[in-house]
Amino acid sequence: MRQAGLGIFEMNLGFEELLLLASIVVPTAVSLCLFTGVVTSDEAAKKLAYVGFGVPFVAGVLLFLWFEGAVGADYKYEVLFDRTGLQELGITFHLGLNGVSSPLFAMAGFVGLAAGLAAIHSGAERIRLYLALLSLMQAGLMGFFASVDLFFYFLFHEFALVPTFIMIGLWGGRDRRSVALEVTIYLTLGALVVLGGLVALNVMGDAEKFDFPTLINLLSTIPLGESAQFKIFGLLLLGFGILVALFPFHTWAPRAYSAAPTSVSMLHAGVLKKFGLYGLVQVAVPLLPSGAAQWSDFLIWLALGNVLFVGFVTMAQNNLKSMVGYGSVMHMGYCFLGVATCSALGAGSVVMLMAAHGLSVALMFLVGTFVFRRCGTFEMDEMGGLATKTPVLACIFVAAALATIGLPGFGNFWGEFGIFMSLGEDPGTRFALGLAALGIIISAIFGLRAVAKVFFGEQTEQFAEFEKENPVKDLSLLELLPAGLLVAALLLLGLWPRTISDRVNGEIGIRYQAFESVEPGGLPACCALDADEPEVKEAVDTNGTSAEATDESSKPKEGDHD
Amino acid sequence: MDITVGTLLLIPFVSAATILLFLRRNGKIASYVSVAAAGAILLLSLQIIFSETASSVPESGDTIADSGVTWLEIADFKVVADFRIDDPEARNESKALLFVVSFVGFLIHVFSLGYMADDAGKARYFGGLSIFMFSMLGITLADNLVLIFVFWELVGFSSYMLIAHYFHTKEASDASKKAFIVNRVGDFGFLIGIVLTYWIFGTVNLSELSQLMASDPARATTGIALALACGFIGKSAQFPLQVWLPDAMAGPTPVSALIHAATMVAAGIYLLARIDFLFTSEALSFIALLGAAMGLYAGFCALVQRDIKKILAYSTLSQLGYMAAAFGLGLEGVALFHLATHAFFKGLMFLGSGSVIHSCHHEQDIFKMGGLRRRMPITANTFLIGVLAISGVNFLSGYFSKDAILLGAYNLNLPVFVVLYLGAILTAFYMFRLYWIAFCGEPRSKHVAEAHESPSVMTGPLVILAVLSAFGGFEALWPETLFAAFHDDLHVVHGMPGHMWMVVLGTFAWVAGALGSRRLYGQVGNEDPLIEKAPALFQLCYSKLFFDEIYNFYVTSIQQRVARILEVLELLFISGLMVRGSAGVAGLFSLIGKSLYLGRIHGYAFWFLVGTVAFLAYAAGWFGHF
Amino acid sequence: MDTIGVQDFLIVSVLLFSVGFLGVVLRRNLLLVLMSLELMLNAVNVALVAFSRHSANMDGSLFVFFIMTVAAAEVSVGLALLVALYKKRQSVFSEHLTMLKN
Repeated sequence: MRQAGLGIFEMNLGFEELLLLASIVVPTAVSLCLFTGVVTSDEAAKKLAYVGFGVPFVAGVLLFLWFEGAVGADYKYEVLFDRTGLQELGITFHLGLNGVSSPLFAMAGFVGLAAGLAAIHSGAERIRLYLALLSLMQAGLMGFFASVDLFFYFLFHEFALVPTFIMIGLWGGRDRRSVALEVTIYLTLGALVVLGGLVALNVMGDAEKFDFPTLINLLSTIPLGESAQFKIFGLLLLGFGILVALFPFHTWAPRAYSAAPTSVSMLHAGVLKKFGLYGLVQVAVPLLPSGAAQWSDFLIWLALGNVLFVGFVTMAQNNLKSMVGYGSVMHMGYCFLGVATCSALGAGSVVMLMAAHGLSVALMFLVGTFVFRRCGTFEMDEMGGLATKTPVLACIFVAAALATIGLPGFGNFWGEFGIFMSLGEDPGTRFALGLAALGIIISAIFGLRAVAKVFFGEQTEQFAEFEKENPVKDLSLLELLPAGLLVAALLLLGLWPRTISDRVNGEIGIRYQAFESVEPGGLPACCALDADEPEVKEAVDTNGTSAEATDESSKPKEGDHD
Repeated sequence: MDITVGTLLLIPFVSAATILLFLRRNGKIASYVSVAAAGAILLLSLQIIFSETASSVPESGDTIADSGVTWLEIADFKVVADFRIDDPEARNESKALLFVVSFVGFLIHVFSLGYMADDAGKARYFGGLSIFMFSMLGITLADNLVLIFVFWELVGFSSYMLIAHYFHTKEASDASKKAFIVNRVGDFGFLIGIVLTYWIFGTVNLSELSQLMASDPARATTGIALALACGFIGKSAQFPLQVWLPDAMAGPTPVSALIHAATMVAAGIYLLARIDFLFTSEALSFIALLGAAMGLYAGFCALVQRDIKKILAYSTLSQLGYMAAAFGLGLEGVALFHLATHAFFKGLMFLGSGSVIHSCHHEQDIFKMGGLRRRMPITANTFLIGVLAISGVNFLSGYFSKDAILLGAYNLNLPVFVVLYLGAILTAFYMFRLYWIAFCGEPRSKHVAEAHESPSVMTGPLVILAVLSAFGGFEALWPETLFAAFHDDLHVVHGMPGHMWMVVLGTFAWVAGALGSRRLYGQVGNEDPLIEKAPALFQLCYSKLFFDEIYNFYVTSIQQRVARILEVLELLFISGLMVRGSAGVAGLFSLIGKSLYLGRIHGYAFWFLVGTVAFLAYAAGWFGHF
Repeated sequence: MDTIGVQDFLIVSVLLFSVGFLGVVLRRNLLLVLMSLELMLNAVNVALVAFSRHSANMDGSLFVFFIMTVAAAEVSVGLALLVALYKKRQSVFSEHLTMLKN
């Protein structure tokens, strides 16, 4: 540990903290270099991009491995910068990792590297601009998992989201213009609602700092009133729901993923979509337990809509890319079910599934593009018989499909299984268990159908036509590298799930204690006392309220901030 | 977890990994690696079975959870990878299945060396076999339901991979998909059962569950029992999920022998035996009826098949029904005994058919065969022993196990007995039919006329299995540790009345079946004589009660239609209504705004005056005070 | 005989104002619209003078001067515009002057 040379940093910056900072700063710097034309040749740009994606990957893996499990609810590797200019609102630049964010941080690094490698060798036009935007996106992704302060959490999300729109618009497939516009409006609307919820949390919670530890300390002793929690959680749920493609706000997702270029789909579906779920698991549910409990039934029905309705729609898809897009929306349904159970088991399983799903959906988009390069189309009816020509690709595709389906041996299984387990706990949610488990049949159907149509059987005429111009080759080393990386990570999670569960456990156990002693269908213990309508307090009185709270620390006082 | 058990599981896993990573191009070495692994598994299994200290059951007082490796732990939910060899009541079911799996598995590995010698995808095949052994051993040894489920799915994956061996054919491609999906439907019920078991009983560990149930048998619920039995229904292809097994014959014949006759489909029965303490009497009688019905139904289906493998597949379905019925009667030891003898004679017959198919250049239609008795003597004779065993010819292995089932049914559940007995007559009938048509008479096609006996690497296992099929029924010849699984229930059955009567009936059954089929099928041409003699019966049997058609109809017409309808709904309403709708609302506002741009002076003047009046009214307080 | 009070002047003023108002709203010929505008302004003048006389306050009368000046200026500008418009469109009727529509 050494003292940082810059006096404004008030903490000792050890190697780990620098690594955390670097994982955000380096891609941003790379992006700036590529934007401003410091780098002129495409080759140099590609080399720079290797650095830009490699550093977050290394940082993610190392910090994840060094993070010991079950340390409780602390943040490690904290970087704190106080004088952001927004201190009156309680906003500080506060980075750190905890049990929930470290696996996702590592996953973001993994997927980022794979997407970066895919982009570097994709042969896109204006590759410098493409890589610049992608690096910026990567910086944002690493940033929002590393943020402890809620404002910067949102800021980094926007950092990552805006390049998406630009990339879809410029490098996308068919009808990219209209899709880019639609996705921009829809997702910005979602982000707006989220911002509204976060601001409401800030104002109502009235903590001195806007970061998560302060809020959780404050709100666990003086929780917000029931109706306030209902409204704020509702806002956050709506906003996060739009961003994570909760039914019925999901329609942007398949269209966006069909139109987006591969690396963008990989990063967006794999990582960016987890922003909302991470927010729910880490922020919304622990801070607003009563709100979560009130919305839980409604959320279960919407999530079942994801699994069943969108699952059926996925089965109707003939286009590989839109099938993967709809499929990823379907799996988000599982995650929402885990969140809706408001239990530690559910939340922990959601984190597992998020990490595994990020890897598997990125892998599916990647192999989908490999197939496209060889068949010239995404329509599965026009392929066939590819396995005889490209056995390695077939092997990786089958691995990806099986991971998506939730076969044990890949990480997705443990997450899904844990979520099913958590649904079974409360007799009130057992019907949801029955309906959600149908999802395993649905995903098997569309997954294996894709494998059969693309790789098995006889070659179709259209494919034979295409093959005359473009001879089919198996995976090259450059293609194999990102794919192999993702498969290896999925196998690791599948064969040794404690990699994640150890680290998640400590955090989840403490955060979700409020839900422990709940009777089925009841509200968490902390809010059960609140039976009266809250009085309208004077706005000036906030200092007095906190003073009262510290005085009467023996029993939790229902200080309502309506 | 015992070191030997860990090694046992590790061997096939390492073999599969090695083949996948390094030996994909080198089929020959891959085959040797896999066979060596199978041999090592056999040796290790024998060591485990016959050593006294191969138990990982901890001293009483320790929790089961301490003995295994914790695989996953979230909040209070723990998945522990604990494996055990025997259970507290020393019933040794796992040892019995371990023996069957490793022994028959090894023989089939050796057979595959010959059968797949010319195949281009040999490496993939042997890798798949290794993964299958790994998963099957996992099911055999696992001590908690979650672990069983994990290996259950992996076995389904191995089955998928191996059925899809000839993936360039539509038949194999469709069959592999069907197998996996239908299995998944069973797994769906199984999963729900496991989750409910955990929350209602507090544990998924089988040893703990059996202790819980021993202290309080009333805690069992039919619902959970049947949910868990869904796994059995899927894996062992019982009603209504039996449709995948006949199609699975699209895979290579040794795969059909190993997976779809001897071991994987038996895993369902094994699962039932392991969780038998969770079954209420209603659940048991349901299973008994289900099994008996399948026993008869599959027999009728087998009667009219032309493909030698399909006949054997339906025969497997039928025998699985017998095992299920035995279990449902409360005689799971008898069910396991039949499982073991079935593994021997069905494995034998499948390998025999493999030998035939191999030397007849992949001819599978029995009406094109004939006269193989003279051309392939070893195959034909061993096959005959298999036919005799399955028909229940006295003193062969099948006789002992089937006789026990029939006797038990006669005493415990007469309707089930009647169905099973009819099934027994039918079994002899169609199995002998196969023998008369394929092996007797004169060759009916060119390839068959040129057939010659298979190499010894293939006939060796046939002979060994024939010996086991012939003598495997004698209790005295079995080692005690292995027979312990069957012992108690068999003695219960032998204590029941009506034994002589059963012997008479049983003998009558196989004699009638043999002679009857000789009468009908002794002299055949290229067509099935039943088509002319009893066309209605033929059509009925051939239709298989339209299960496949019904499922196909469901998938294509209903499921896909629903999927398309939902897709349209989604595009119309959600996309259209919400996304375009919100745009529409904005458009509506703009339309209203646009309408104010009249372009005529008088209009403007009018609105100006209206506005002024409104303003004055407001100032005068007509709209209320603020 | 009663004295003529403020109300009578106001009634006259209101009548004049309404005639002018209706003229603005209803007449098609823009010249007449301008004249009606003038009529409204002068009606206001009458009312102001009446109030001024009634309360013996000079403010009202002074205001009348302002109004008359402004009215004169406005009429000249309006007429000039109208003449220019006539040169373009050869019409002073409002239904022919709809270029700003939609």
